[in-house]
Amino acid sequence: MNNWVIKGLRTGIVTTSYPAGEEHSQGISPGIPQGGDCDDKSAKVLTEQCPTGALRHADGQLVVDRSRCVHCYRCARGVATPAVWETGFEWAGTSAKSEAFMQAFQRSLHIRVVDAGSCGACLNEVKLLNNPYYNMHRLGFFITPTPRQADILLVVGPVTDHMKVPLLKTYEAMPSPKKVMAVGACALTGGIFGPSFVTCSGVADILPVDVEVPGCPPPPLAILHGLLVFAGRKPASRLLYPVGTASSKGGDTE
Amino acid sequence: MNIGTLLIASFAVCGAGMAVSAIVHQRLIPRILALFGSLTALIGIIIGAIALFRGDVFHFSLWSLPALGTLQLSFDPLSAIFTIVAGLIFIPVSLFSREYLRHYLERTGLKTFSIFYLGLFASIILLTIAGDIFTFLIAWEGMSLLSYLLVNTERESNEARQAGYLMLGIGEAGTLAVAVAFLILANAAGSSSFSATKAAVPNLSEGLRWAVFLLSFFGFGVKMGLLPFNFWLPRAHPVAPANVSALLSGVILNLGLYGILRVNLDILPINSPTPGLIILIVGAISALLGILYATIENNFKTLLAHSSIENMGIIAVGIGAGFVFLASGQAVLASIAFIAAFYHMVNHSVYKSLLFLGVGAVNVSTGTRDIDRLGGLLKKMPWTGLFVLVGMLAISALPPFNGFVSEWLTLQSLLRSVELTSLGVKIAFVVAGAGLALTAGLAVTCFVRAFSMGFLGMARSKVVHTAREVGKIALASMAFLALVCLALGVLPTYVIPAMDRVVAPLTGASGAQALVPPFFVANAPEGQLPPNFASEFHDLGAQIGQSVIPGPGLAVIHRGGKANPVVFAMSTSYMLVALFVLLGLCAGVVWLFVARRRKVERRPQWDGGVRSLLPEMTYTATGFAQPVRVIFTSILRPITGKNGTESIAEHFRVAIRREQKEVHLADRLVLHPLSASALWISDKFAHMHNGRVNAYAAYALLALILFLIIASFR
Repeated sequence: MNNWVIKGLRTGIVTTSYPAGEEHSQGISPGIPQGGDCDDKSAKVLTEQCPTGALRHADGQLVVDRSRCVHCYRCARGVATPAVWETGFEWAGTSAKSEAFMQAFQRSLHIRVVDAGSCGACLNEVKLLNNPYYNMHRLGFFITPTPRQADILLVVGPVTDHMKVPLLKTYEAMPSPKKVMAVGACALTGGIFGPSFVTCSGVADILPVDVEVPGCPPPPLAILHGLLVFAGRKPASRLLYPVGTASSKGGDTE
Repeated sequence: MNIGTLLIASFAVCGAGMAVSAIVHQRLIPRILALFGSLTALIGIIIGAIALFRGDVFHFSLWSLPALGTLQLSFDPLSAIFTIVAGLIFIPVSLFSREYLRHYLERTGLKTFSIFYLGLFASIILLTIAGDIFTFLIAWEGMSLLSYLLVNTERESNEARQAGYLMLGIGEAGTLAVAVAFLILANAAGSSSFSATKAAVPNLSEGLRWAVFLLSFFGFGVKMGLLPFNFWLPRAHPVAPANVSALLSGVILNLGLYGILRVNLDILPINSPTPGLIILIVGAISALLGILYATIENNFKTLLAHSSIENMGIIAVGIGAGFVFLASGQAVLASIAFIAAFYHMVNHSVYKSLLFLGVGAVNVSTGTRDIDRLGGLLKKMPWTGLFVLVGMLAISALPPFNGFVSEWLTLQSLLRSVELTSLGVKIAFVVAGAGLALTAGLAVTCFVRAFSMGFLGMARSKVVHTAREVGKIALASMAFLALVCLALGVLPTYVIPAMDRVVAPLTGASGAQALVPPFFVANAPEGQLPPNFASEFHDLGAQIGQSVIPGPGLAVIHRGGKANPVVFAMSTSYMLVALFVLLGLCAGVVWLFVARRRKVERRPQWDGGVRSLLPEMTYTATGFAQPVRVIFTSILRPITGKNGTESIAEHFRVAIRREQKEVHLADRLVLHPLSASALWISDKFAHMHNGRVNAYAAYALLALILFLIIASFR
């Protein structure tokens, strides 16, 4: 009956050492294409392969818009000159305006999660943060059912028309200071859904977004990194907005 | 002025009111009733006050009746306190009726209502001053019948008629038991007057003593609303008009207590602890079950009726403890317990009539008593809401209101069972005390629910939107009762000596001396307060108010022996001051350190993100009571209806309706078997009436033969 005690003692601590140490286990991240020097011919092939328009060719460089990438591996497999993929997960970026975060967020954070029309994958990854492996409670991050106690509004999904009002109401109901975190390609750009006649092109259409976590879905550690960026314990990734792509956010996919 | 003149004046005012009611137009009746009702009640209070505080004794013989004895009137402190309470409730209720009865103008005959109303007060006065058995029984019957007629004002509905018959039937059963008890006493004494009976019966046999106790406890306990014969009360209240309900709970239930005390404390004092224990246990169970059913009830008036049962239970616990202490030779503790019971009786009368008037006001302006259909009334009826809040705080026994003092005293007197010797009695006291504590907790739940679901939140039905505040006179009568609640709560040291005037002659020991020491005096007489204690209090500033407030002090302190100078102590007066100081301090600290620096943002309420928050989505009274319903499911035994209805829209089932209801424990265990057996017996007897003449002739012949046989044996 009390086997779980013995089993627990025998297993020891399984929790990841991130953020104190480094995390290199297999399968913790799907990876994301890296930009870099690329000749015209292979760049053309790669950009044609990309279904979401995340890859672009400019000045002899392959530019990756990470907020659009859905990890389809079409640029990594079955092409003559595959793009280089990185296997890390510290992808969460922040706009320069939101860079200076407030003192109030340095310790514990309470998070209100709103599913604004996601397919469920991002939500699943958020859920995983509560399991023994990622265990975000050890870092002082808690999910709260009411926006009245929340510091951070974590939004997944492209914001469908039906979820617009509830999302705004949730934001309105939160006490200041409050920040918004958009998780997943849909929440960042509308992803494979939007913009369309029933969805927006991401959370930024209706709310000021402070931290963006790319990925489709982003692995739990990427979301954790996003939360740590809020808490000021990790630097934000500089790669989310490569030169010349920041303005393309919200634009139509081809 | 002497009591006799005032009594005649009081009856004359009642009579004049009844005569005027019979003459004038129906439209004027509310004013007539308010005028004469409050006037005669005022005279009643004055009579009671004269008897209680000046110590005037009134004894008067009316005419002699052949074969029945002399009809007598007598007025002692025990009568006085019940007269004062009756007057105290009749004044605001009469004033309230002036506005309330206007809503009955088109519906019912108000002339008869007014006559019954004034007649009820006259019969209550007559009951308290009755000095012999026949006057008492006549007044008791008059009171029972008139209260039945008043409850039955709205007799158009089937439910009201049934409730009235049940009330009348069970009340008459009680009267019969009381009459038998009185006949036993009169037979033993050879006289029908109370004073002669009292002098003659001390050497009554044990069996007859038990018979008198059980009969009177049953007969008067029915009127008091004690288990298991309380099923008439939750049925009578919802059908009665609000002012009659206020009188029923505030005055008439008390008269059952008066009867129990008159017989078992005054005429034939109980001399063994067992009857006291019976009262104690019945009281504790009544209290617990009363509040339990109140907590799950949705009809405001039924809720208050169950709560009346609870409060009567608490009073019964007090007098039960008093009887046990008295039989065990602890006269001082008995006095404390009786003072607690009387105190609670007065408190209950005041706050319960306040609540019934408040609910009546709500009913008039919304037309419903269902808590689930109310909500948000505070915005529409702020003053009524405030007074109802006061009443509910008082009934939940929260300081600084009056319920706290008396429940605290009752619980403390139960804890004094350590002075008793018998272990079984001690255990009974402890269990009763625990039951009372649970009752107090449930009472808070019950009235938090009643107030929050009735007055706060969103309006759950359209009737609330059209609600309007009631008129000034009705508000004034509620304000009067609310102020009395506060006064009785913060000035216990002035109330307890008054109660002691009633209790001390009956128990032979002063409870006030044991409870209210001369606190203001630095050098208290030897034995009343330890000198170092007195000086310590003096250093704390206890004598500060001495010149402003005359009297014994503001603290209730019960002193034990040398080893234990203070057994229990409390002061709601100082508590009120401390409460305001602390509240002010907290507000100051918050303002100084927090509020000044932070700016307040106003955000819309959180509704879970729905497009618009509908009243149906908010918490209901039924939902609030659900945890209690689940915890006590083995007692409540809810019955779920088998045939629910299902609503199907196009292809999907959208709703399943199931009804769940509770049948009261007393109904299940007493009323239903009682009525079933009565029906069975009458069914069997119906076979005798077969319509054949020769059979009837045979019955007559058989009866004759039977009587001849019996006569031959004599």
